[in-house]
Amino acid sequence: MPLPMFSTKVASEPQSFGKIDAIVGVAAGKGGVGKSSVVVNLAHALRKKGYQVGIMDTDIYGPSIRKMLPEEQMPFQKGAHIYPALCQGIKMISMAYFRQENEATAVRAPIANGLITQFIQNVQWGDLDFLLVDFPPGTGDVQLTLSQKAQLTGAVMVTTPQEISLLDVRKAISLFNQVKVPIIGIVENMSYYQPTEDVEPVFIFGKGGGERLAKESGTPLLAKIPLDPHIGTCGDCGESLYAHDSKGERLVTRTFEHLANRLVEEIQLLKAERKEGVGSFELVWKEMSP
Amino acid sequence: MKNPTLFIRKIWQQDNHVFSIEWNDGVIQNFRLCDLQRECPCAACVDEGTGKRIKDPKSVPEDLKAISICNVGRYGLRIRFTSGCSMGIYHIDKLREGGQCIIN
Repeated sequence: MPLPMFSTKVASEPQSFGKIDAIVGVAAGKGGVGKSSVVVNLAHALRKKGYQVGIMDTDIYGPSIRKMLPEEQMPFQKGAHIYPALCQGIKMISMAYFRQENEATAVRAPIANGLITQFIQNVQWGDLDFLLVDFPPGTGDVQLTLSQKAQLTGAVMVTTPQEISLLDVRKAISLFNQVKVPIIGIVENMSYYQPTEDVEPVFIFGKGGGERLAKESGTPLLAKIPLDPHIGTCGDCGESLYAHDSKGERLVTRTFEHLANRLVEEIQLLKAERKEGVGSFELVWKEMSP
Repeated sequence: MKNPTLFIRKIWQQDNHVFSIEWNDGVIQNFRLCDLQRECPCAACVDEGTGKRIKDPKSVPEDLKAISICNVGRYGLRIRFTSGCSMGIYHIDKLREGGQCIIN
């Protein structure tokens, strides 16, 4: 049974009780590259390392993360505050909680922006090390709202190896450059298929796209994630990769752990560079004597 | 395509009509509020279709003040002017190009 839609009242000021160390957008500018799979499995890998993690699924029209990460505890509302769902130790908010599974969210951009603003300003995350924001496809209203209001630490760009994917991801990078959100790095998803590690990988979708994009954008290639049926199976069953691979022996599991390590390193570097910045501010004008 | 690196290190009110920004590369610039209001990019000040300025720049008083200035994400400033205009977003790249540099 979905939750009732919240009123459109947004908290007058951000009311998040708690501190979030890093807010990371995971974006691509296009659909179908596996952003949501990357977000879920990255979140699991970070949790395995002991970090407190939250996920904001901002794909209002096609929220898929709830299927991959089912809740033990539904979100709830107290006044204007929204408390996120709890899913295998990961906090989450998603439009999926407010709709039946097959029900479309048929709303225009102003309402979509209002929903996103509520997610940003009304959700009480508590203390988190990482809040992963699963961006929807495109470079429009919702992406601009997130860039303006979500105080993103940076963005991770997900691509597949083909040039046709890079075409759209470059546009998303251009948007982030315009709105001064640092690109943390590139993830090449569906990079290759290697049924066992003693055989040569097969590059089903081409080769080198992620590396090219990393060089063009001057950012690191964080990980190359292999095609593995295990990702799809676990996603459809709502299980973590670790549910059937508790020691992290599979190549795909180890790759996500590597991605988590690289994300932590790059965010530390970014923060060290940015610690001099004024951050979020309001300068209230005062009357000064001449 | 490069990573954006320009950011504000400090922002402060200089007098009743001017504020200053110190950028991350050490450059300090002054910005006069009336000049910024004349360049406001909001839809009430600029016709979105033609790009022509709706408000006559000469109608902006030299002694214009602000109510507040806040950041818009990492990329811009929003200024609430005492004129009532408050919807324009001033991109920091454009501010950097147009600001008056202070030479120490």
